[in-house]
Amino acid sequence: MAPYLQPRVDGDLRSLLDDRVWLHRLVDALGSPVNLVLPGHVAENVRRFRAVYRARHLSGHIFFAHKANRSQALVRGLAAADAGIDVASLGELRNALAAGFTPERIMATGPKSREFLWLAARAGVIVNADSTTELDALAGILRAHALPRVRVMARLSGFAPTGANMLTRASRFGIPVTGLATLWEVLEKQRDLLDFHGVAYHLDTVGLPEKAAALEGCLHAMDEAGRQGLSPRAIDAGGGFGVSYLADESQWEAWTTELTGAVLGKRPPLTWNGHGYGLRNEGGKLRGMLSVYPGYRTIAGPAYLDRLLDTESATHRRTLGTLLLDSMYDLHVEPGRALLDQCGAVLLRVEEVRDDGHGETLVRLAGNGGDIALEQHGVLMDPLLVPRGEPGPEEPAGVYLTGNLCLEADLITRRKVFLSRQPEPGDLLVFVNTAGYLMDFSAGEALMQPSARTVAAYRGRDGWQWCLDEQYWPVTGREETA
Amino acid sequence: MRYDSVTDVIGDTPLVRIDAAVHGLRNIDLYAKMELLNPFGSVKDRAAWNMVRDRIAGAAERGDTVVELSSGNTAKALALIAAMHGLPFRSVTNRMKVPEIKDLLLLLGAQIDELPGRSECLDPDDTDDPLTRMYHTVSADGGGYLHTDQYFNELNVDAHTHGTGREIIADLGGRAPDYFIACVGTAGSSTGVARALRAHDPATTVVGLVAQKSDFIPGIRNIDEVHEVGLFDPGTYDTIEAVSSDEAIDGLLTLVRRCGTLAGPTGGGAYQGAVRYLRGIDETLTERRTAVFIVCDRVESYLSYLRERRPELFQQPARAQTLRTLTDGDLAAARTIGVADAEEWIDKESPLVVDLRSPFAYRALHIDRSINIVDDLFGEMLHGGLPFGRRQPVLLVCPVGEKSARYAALLTRMGHQDVRSLAGGVIAWRDAGAELVRD
Ligand SMILES: Cc1ncc(COP(=O)(O)O)c(C=O)c1O
Ligand SMILES: Cc1ncc(COP(=O)(O)O)c(C=O)c1O
Repeated sequence: MAPYLQPRVDGDLRSLLDDRVWLHRLVDALGSPVNLVLPGHVAENVRRFRAVYRARHLSGHIFFAHKANRSQALVRGLAAADAGIDVASLGELRNALAAGFTPERIMATGPKSREFLWLAARAGVIVNADSTTELDALAGILRAHALPRVRVMARLSGFAPTGANMLTRASRFGIPVTGLATLWEVLEKQRDLLDFHGVAYHLDTVGLPEKAAALEGCLHAMDEAGRQGLSPRAIDAGGGFGVSYLADESQWEAWTTELTGAVLGKRPPLTWNGHGYGLRNEGGKLRGMLSVYPGYRTIAGPAYLDRLLDTESATHRRTLGTLLLDSMYDLHVEPGRALLDQCGAVLLRVEEVRDDGHGETLVRLAGNGGDIALEQHGVLMDPLLVPRGEPGPEEPAGVYLTGNLCLEADLITRRKVFLSRQPEPGDLLVFVNTAGYLMDFSAGEALMQPSARTVAAYRGRDGWQWCLDEQYWPVTGREETA
Repeated sequence: MRYDSVTDVIGDTPLVRIDAAVHGLRNIDLYAKMELLNPFGSVKDRAAWNMVRDRIAGAAERGDTVVELSSGNTAKALALIAAMHGLPFRSVTNRMKVPEIKDLLLLLGAQIDELPGRSECLDPDDTDDPLTRMYHTVSADGGGYLHTDQYFNELNVDAHTHGTGREIIADLGGRAPDYFIACVGTAGSSTGVARALRAHDPATTVVGLVAQKSDFIPGIRNIDEVHEVGLFDPGTYDTIEAVSSDEAIDGLLTLVRRCGTLAGPTGGGAYQGAVRYLRGIDETLTERRTAVFIVCDRVESYLSYLRERRPELFQQPARAQTLRTLTDGDLAAARTIGVADAEEWIDKESPLVVDLRSPFAYRALHIDRSINIVDDLFGEMLHGGLPFGRRQPVLLVCPVGEKSARYAALLTRMGHQDVRSLAGGVIAWRDAGAELVRD
């Protein structure tokens, strides 16, 4: 059995990929690579998150973390849905305002320039502050420009689980929970300018216990705020709900076991130059840590939020979801990757197929590692082969994918990928489920190679239609007949 | 039997035959090596003591901290031994997955350091691996730590070569068993016992058991993780097989319910793995053989692990007055009252206002002069009957009016005559601008 890592493809994306001719026409018209996004599906993902809220009677906003994708169509699709948006730069904020988000549906996060702070304040969006210094700077801008009071949240960090000492990765962001006194002072001092909305966290971890400790820490900080005479309303639980990329858990298990074997020299390599993805062989022992995204996850996205809210607080012996509801707090979340699950794909044309002289097949694509950031984000999965002509018989082929830059390191992924058959020049390779971070997060125009056009696909009167990303608006042209 | 120190009690555990009527093997005598009878409760007592016995006096003089990567039995044994010598103990762990063990370690005075989970927004070039950092700190000479390093320490294996293995041979009348089956965590016990048995009789077959991938059996590793273990040598085992947590629990239930042996999950896994492995062989045998497996520790620490995987084992007897027995008719009969009417009712008749939310939320904000009985507790009280008179007016309050409506229905069914549920709950109350206080 070839060590496949076949991606999970559902719903709309699946139906779109079944149309071989349609996909080829698209790349013929626009050139390789093409980013395909599905603004209709992102609204479906919002509904799934919302269902978790409903089941618990919780209220609050689902803020899409814009940084996961630059597409206008996706942002406009979200503006039409029951969602807010988390913007982390001046450009993202302008995009959000232009897409029709009203200020109470916009949350400004991350490190902020003065221009970003001014526009956020002028527009009246919620400012999620990283530090007390930022709150003071914001108050300064409000005073100098005679702007109205702004809703603010304070991002906290440094939460510890009960009974243990957490050796967390130090975060550069947030106000340490052990030093909240300064926060209360600033909020008191700037009371007439800053309307304290609540506390926030965002943890870059897949670990549920750490997130549960943070959420519980936020509940306690809210209580402390109440004792300080403040009346905050919401807790923002950040993003990081995750996606399960693979269809089949057993493939993930088999591949990771085979990689272990390859690193220990017990089987031929599965990766370019025997790359270990963080694992090393030291005297026959396995060292290091597998440093890739967990390809198959049993609990991801809305189910992860559900599990988090079902986690029992160690101090109160009640679930975190119940405590939030009991306390009448709104719950905000900022999912990026999870809201874009099954919302896009990157299409690349095969330029050349050759033998490297050592028995490996190299497939050169019209695109590079900047266009499809699998390697940069440690996501491992096979692309799907969409042949130009009639597909021949299946015959699994393991190949390495190289890019269009004249750099030795320009591999689309260092993993040997497995396709249903050997590709030929002119065929397409489709990297599915790449809308979250893997699409245009770091695309550039190295070597003046063309960067991908992004197109939005939507269901029209006669099946799938497409338009350029910036042309997409969530109107159908049939509204007046309704 | 008299001893000078509890550490002298470690080892010399009994070898107990499992009744053939239980395991069903016709030609094989199956024995359990009862490591759960060690004084601190597990097979790891031997390794822990052997790794520190010659170093603990020096460490005590310097006031070093004993440190180990363990979230289970090794940590427990080391915490006890360190405390006996007046030394602090730090347990570094990926995750404390078994809450009882975490609580126990805290009770013993250990400090627990948890390593963070994997990064969600990954940077593959990140070199900041907290485990490596930790390892460097505790391994430095003169750094104030006695690091026992159980995954690499030959003294862990030694404890079993000289102890566990030799005892088995002695108890079998000077013979090594034909088959030896053990779960692999640090590989210390299986490697040590295998060495002793093979030195005596090279023909002994050794079976190593690991957990199935993406499954979890506390104390042992899966087939990939085992390659990270310094003491692990694939050559030690004639075969390595995987057991699932389901099989481990089946085995545990057989041992606790039919064999009078309070085994934990790895003891259960070793039993089940042994019977599964031996069954095929048994059918082909014409003469008698012996097999030994290890019961590593005791069941009591794993109740929440078992409850999560087999909730049906912990079914509570059915009770009459609970929300679960409410019918649609009961629910329809319950009375609700809107915010404005409730305010008026409170003014006129001063009903008893019962807030069913958590004390934490109640303390922050609540309706003036309400009392707080959290819903779980209120439910418990109702098993015993009405906690107030039938005619005492009662207003029940919860976050959105759902739970309070159900309790109002239950009280009404129990014969209460004037109970109402606040429609829309305290959230509707707040949103209507009605007064909330914090006292
Ligand atoms: C503050 C904040 N919120 C939300 C997110 C989105 O995270 P994810 O895409 O993992 O849901 C990020 C990601 O970096 C972030 O920094
Ligand atoms: C409950 C339990 N079973 C089995 C084992 C495995 O023993 P060893 O570490 O000697 O392989 C351990 C120890 O890690 C354990 O704690």
